Amino acid sequence: MSETNSEAFEVRSRALFQDSVDGLDMRIRSRLTQARSAALEAEQGRPWFLGRKIWTPAAGVTAAAMLGVSLWIGTPIGQQPTMADAQTNFEDLDLVAAADEGSGDALDMLQDDIEFYDFADKTANSGPSA
Amino acid sequence: MVWDNPAPAPEGAVLEYTKELEKFLAEIERRAFRMAQVALRDPDDALDVVQDAMLKLTRSYASRPGAQWRPLFYRILENGIRDLQRRRTVRNRIMAWLPGLKEDPDGETQDPLENVADAAPAIPERLMQAQAMQRLEESLRELPARQREAFMLRNFEGMDVAETASAMACSEGSVKTHYSRAVHALRDRLGEVW
Repeated sequence: MSETNSEAFEVRSRALFQDSVDGLDMRIRSRLTQARSAALEAEQGRPWFLGRKIWTPAAGVTAAAMLGVSLWIGTPIGQQPTMADAQTNFEDLDLVAAADEGSGDALDMLQDDIEFYDFADKTANSGPSA
Repeated sequence: MVWDNPAPAPEGAVLEYTKELEKFLAEIERRAFRMAQVALRDPDDALDVVQDAMLKLTRSYASRPGAQWRPLFYRILENGIRDLQRRRTVRNRIMAWLPGLKEDPDGETQDPLENVADAAPAIPERLMQAQAMQRLEESLRELPARQREAFMLRNFEGMDVAETASAMACSEGSVKTHYSRAVHALRDRLGEVW
C-alpha cells in the first residue's frame, strides 16, 4: 500500500466523518445543547472555592488552629486523663466560648491573671497535703 | 495573610473560564457525539456518555488550563464508552441465561421513526457518502478498542500525536503504532475502491 493511497484514505475518512457531523439532525443538536447547559449549570452551582486551589492555605491555617486548640486543652504527656480532667477542660472551653463576641473578656482574663493560674496549676498538681 | 500569587476575583475568574468552557464544549460536542455513536451504535447511549463526559470535565477539571481540556475530555469519553460496552456485555450474558428475556441479538431495537422516508429527495451522491460512512463505521467497530480510539482522535478529531497520547494515557510511540495498524486494517477491510 502506498503512502499516497494512505493519505487519500485518511483525507476521505475525515471528510466523510465531518459530513456526518454536519448532517446531525436537530433533535440530536438540541439534546447536545441541553447536555452542555446542564454541565455548565452544574459547574456554576458549585461554590467557587471548590474548583480552585486557593483553599490550600486556608486548610493549613485550620489545621494549625486545630492543633493549637488540641495542645491548649490537651493532657500533659505521661499523665493519664481522668473524667474530672476532661470535664474541667470543657468548662474552660465554655468559659472562653461564652464570652461576648468582640469583648475579648475571657482572653484578657487569661492574659492578666497568668501568674495566678500558674500558681493554681502548681497547687492542684501537688495533690492533697495530708 | 499575604499570598505569593493572589488569585483573581473569584466571580470574574469563574465567569471567564465558564465562558471558555462553554465555547470549548460547543466546539467539540458534535464530533464527540459522532465518535461515541460510532463506538456504541446507539444514539441515546452516545448522548449519555457525552453528557457524562461534559459533567465530569466541568466538575473536576474546569479549573485546568484550556489546553488540557480536549485530551481530558476524550479520555473521560473513552472511559465512558468502555464502561458502557462492558455493562452491555454483562447484560447480554445474563440475558442469554434467562429464557424469555432475550433482547434483540444486536442490541439495537429499531425506532419506527428511523424507517420513515425522509421528505427531502435523497441525492445519489449524498446517499453514496452515507453508505461509505456506514461501511467505515462498521469497520471501525471491528477494530481493537485502542486502534479505533487512536484512529478517531487522530483522524476525526485532528489531534496531534502528543495530544492523542495524553488522551489515551499512553506513549507517543504507542499512538503511532495503533494509528498505523488501524489505517492498514481499515484499508484492508474497505478495499481499494472505497
